[in-house]
Amino acid sequence: MSGFGGVLPWARRTIVEQEKWLTAQEFSAMLGICQIVPGPNIVNLAVCVGSRFAGVAGAFAAVLGLTLGPVALVIVLGVLYDHYSYMPIVQGLLRGISAVGVGLIASTGFKMMRNELKYPPMLAVIILTVLAASYFHLGLGWVVLLTSPLAFLLAWKRVKG
Amino acid sequence: MEEGKGVISTLLSLFLKLSAFSVLAFGGINAILPALYDLSVNQEHWINSQTFGDYFAIAQAAPGPNLMTVTLIGWNVGGVLGAAVATLAIAWPSSIMIYFLQRTILNMRDKKKQQIIQYAAGALAVGLVLAAAWGIAAQINHSLAAHLLTIGTIAVTFFTRWHPLYLIIIGGALGVLGFI
Repeated sequence: MSGFGGVLPWARRTIVEQEKWLTAQEFSAMLGICQIVPGPNIVNLAVCVGSRFAGVAGAFAAVLGLTLGPVALVIVLGVLYDHYSYMPIVQGLLRGISAVGVGLIASTGFKMMRNELKYPPMLAVIILTVLAASYFHLGLGWVVLLTSPLAFLLAWKRVKG
Repeated sequence: MEEGKGVISTLLSLFLKLSAFSVLAFGGINAILPALYDLSVNQEHWINSQTFGDYFAIAQAAPGPNLMTVTLIGWNVGGVLGAAVATLAIAWPSSIMIYFLQRTILNMRDKKKQQIIQYAAGALAVGLVLAAAWGIAAQINHSLAAHLLTIGTIAVTFFTRWHPLYLIIIGGALGVLGFI
């Protein structure tokens, strides 16, 4: 897949605009589900789209189609890294890219947070999650276990209210 | 023989741990990066902090899904087989979950229930992704310049609609020139 800086926009173009496998609404609904269920979002989406058309076989085909190319490429990059990572230029290059990469993740988080601002009490869940993970260094399982009751309670209140 | 056993037990441990991460990854792969760092650098000592940062950078810059950081760690641990095991492990539990859940959620009669799930999981995801950005920045940014570049990236994405690839190129160029 030719997904520089994210595969999603590319996936939407292919699935909705070029191949017309799904309508824009169907795609959005599907994407919504894939983003709430844990796991690699784009793999989830591949399972959804693939299984819609050819069941389990379709899901397998879609996931393999999505991952095989990039996995092969990244292994080649791993080999190159082993050979050239001693070079200061390569080290600098990767330091720069990783600093940008972290920024991109943070801005994804902030953009997702805009939805939460429509219901400010939900910020408590976000703060609790960040504290549990970053300040108290709890394991991922504990963080999810600890914060999900509050998340569901507030979500329930938001919908009922 | 001993060595073979060692590799198999390492791959098994890699497979089991990553499989557990898969079902906890609210917000996608980005959300589990600190846990992945903890596992591969602090607990198992498969790679050092430097290599983790570099693998993260390679996965960011290469085309394809962002789960390639996981693939690279697997490759480091056990070659091509390790890469396959790691990629499979991070994907299979969540894939099975979504396979069964998608119709259930999409066809839910009670739209309110659907919204509750959506809001709750959404908030968890935001928290985990922000915590992940914070945690990873603390581990892989080793200079003030690197932190400034991270903050600059956030600012640019807020005020412009530049494609992330441009930012990655700029970051890489600044690094090559020795600023970071």
